[in-house]
Amino acid sequence: MKKMVKSGLALLLLICLMCGCTPAGNPAGSNDSTEPIRRMELKYATGFSVDYYQDGFKMISMADGGRFLVIPEGKESPKDLPEDMTCIQQPVENLYLAASSAMSFFDVLDRVDAITLTGTKQSSWHISCAVDAMAEGRITFAGKYSEPDYELMMERKCPLAIESTMVDRVPEVKEKLRELGIGVLVDCSSLESHPLGRAEWIKLYGALLNEEEKAEEAFQKQVDYLNTVLAEENTGKTVAYFYITSDGVAVAPQADDYVSKMIELAGAKYIFNSEDAPQRDSSTNKMEMEAFFAAAKDADYIIYNSTTEGELSGMDELLQKNKLLQEMKAVQNGNVWCGRENMHQSTTDLGVMVQSFHQIFSGQADQQDEVPYFYRLK
Amino acid sequence: MSRCKRAYDAVELNQRGRFTLVMLLMMGLLVLGLLMNVNIGSVPISAGEVLRIVWDGIRYSVINLFTRNSCAEELEQVIHASTQSQILFSIRIPRMLLAAVLGGALSVSGFLLQVFFQNPIAGPFILGISSGAKMVVGVVLVFVTPHIGTLSSGMMILAGFAGALLTTSVVLLFSQRVHQMSMLLVVGVMVGYICGAVTDFVVAFAHDYDIASLTNWSMGSFSGADWENVGLAMLVCLPGLAATWLLSKPISAYAMGEEYARSIGIHIKVFRLMLILLSSLLSACVTALAGPISFVGIAVPHITRTLLQSSRPSHVIPATFLCGAVFTVFCDLIARTVFSPTELSVGTVTAVFGAPVVIYMMVKRRKGQVA
Repeated sequence: MKKMVKSGLALLLLICLMCGCTPAGNPAGSNDSTEPIRRMELKYATGFSVDYYQDGFKMISMADGGRFLVIPEGKESPKDLPEDMTCIQQPVENLYLAASSAMSFFDVLDRVDAITLTGTKQSSWHISCAVDAMAEGRITFAGKYSEPDYELMMERKCPLAIESTMVDRVPEVKEKLRELGIGVLVDCSSLESHPLGRAEWIKLYGALLNEEEKAEEAFQKQVDYLNTVLAEENTGKTVAYFYITSDGVAVAPQADDYVSKMIELAGAKYIFNSEDAPQRDSSTNKMEMEAFFAAAKDADYIIYNSTTEGELSGMDELLQKNKLLQEMKAVQNGNVWCGRENMHQSTTDLGVMVQSFHQIFSGQADQQDEVPYFYRLK
Repeated sequence: MSRCKRAYDAVELNQRGRFTLVMLLMMGLLVLGLLMNVNIGSVPISAGEVLRIVWDGIRYSVINLFTRNSCAEELEQVIHASTQSQILFSIRIPRMLLAAVLGGALSVSGFLLQVFFQNPIAGPFILGISSGAKMVVGVVLVFVTPHIGTLSSGMMILAGFAGALLTTSVVLLFSQRVHQMSMLLVVGVMVGYICGAVTDFVVAFAHDYDIASLTNWSMGSFSGADWENVGLAMLVCLPGLAATWLLSKPISAYAMGEEYARSIGIHIKVFRLMLILLSSLLSACVTALAGPISFVGIAVPHITRTLLQSSRPSHVIPATFLCGAVFTVFCDLIARTVFSPTELSVGTVTAVFGAPVVIYMMVKRRKGQVA
């Protein structure tokens, strides 16, 4: 009996000792390194998560299944990692950026230097940090997202291509990049349902670049802007946000679009969000003109979306798109504003945009012709 | 009689000599095109370095072929030795080989249809193949992708193939019932229009980014070519080319008239079926792997016949393949380098060079008829 107890204890001890052995491929090579020390706190974003491990390793996990192991400077990549995991060695540099909305994150983090290649031409950038960097040759155009210059990316030893969701429609590009050893991170911030969810993606880039503090600070600023607006009363105004294509079709985003949400957060009602709003195609957001006019003619404010077809020079240019617009209440009352072209590339200022919306809808901007990101059409 | 025979022998010798000359010229141009493609790119690599790396790669590949991969490690080392070697083996070489094989295939496909319809402007896409492929690719992008999440390049290739073969099947069905070539041509064009209408219908429900992707796809490109694509292209196109060459004699007889072909024992129905099938298979492969590429299939057979001064199929077929390969390789070089890093679609470049050839041919033919 004693022998059995002793054997059992010895076996138990052996099992305990074996449990303490390090399994191969741990990020940090210590006993509990398969478990993260902590997870990044995210208040609004749902498209990614960041787990922190011992010795400075970080795991960025994307909602689309992408996984990126960020290896701190001076450390080596662990062995036997799963094939679907991309390793990114810090310091991160020579990035290829095709997701133009992410540039502002790098600007705020003061790390535009990490990007040397882009899929957007200089003429298509509307934020100064990108325009200046391209003009000075610090960032080079390396082919658009669907036809990147693979040779240039390899020559520059680009470790990571930051793509927009458009790259999902050209799977051969993703496959080719991965074949060449270039990681592909698809920035899905545009799919976030809350505007601050989109802004919170700055924390992903903060983790990538070891600038978590700056990221947190920048994000908190936008939260503060939003909280200021939320503290104020609802304006009760109705707003139409749209643009008209060259073939005369009105395009208005769905209620779950981040701009629609920003309008609602600013204390106004997005006119195409109501129960009796006209039907429009859920995938293209296009509306037949008659239905659009019926819904929007009594809207208190018009915010014209200039990001697709360019900024309008004045009211005349808007009215040229369709004469029916003259009959709209907002046009007759002079409450037509136009968004700046750089709206969609200024992802770090969404809180500012909500504040601007509130200034417009509450009447605070009645005597002004310009607020951040918007200007009055005359 | 002996005088006739001597004259015949002289002509035959002349034609063979010309054929040999043209083949040598085409092979020389192809080698030049391939050398230029491997040497020219966004990243400067010295010619010496290129030759050294490529020679090592070829050497180990050949040894592996005959010794059951005994030098697999060495080959891997050569390929991954440096950024330059990776650029050569992963980007430039697969791309230029794909352009060569698919360009040749498209040209032969065009030749077959020109024989079939006895129409000099018949091209590989006249039977609606590119429209069918675009239709199915559009359906996949717009309606299928949102439900499956991740789209792979294999699915895009399958979609292209499926669309191309769908329209081919319809045309083949009609070819059994319709005996007039002009009617079959009309059927093919109409099928193309129907596919185009379906595509427009699909586009009405598409996001802007799907429309952009579909537009990019429909302009044709060899960007992103890899060894798997090259392997697939060779697997389909080379046997197709061989089968076409084996049809040289029936094609030759058919060119002299259906009655004559029938009189020497050619089963016209089967022969027509083979022509359409081979042509469609070759152009479906091109469309699936690189998208629709215009004018190669129309212009190159004319260029070849002009060079050979002969319409003998046993000569024209291999020469057309080589000529198509040369044409496409040079067009792709222009497409990817002239405005680098912005890449033109290869279809744009082939149209710029191919359309004038077709116009010239038509004008020359018209002048000949008037005279």
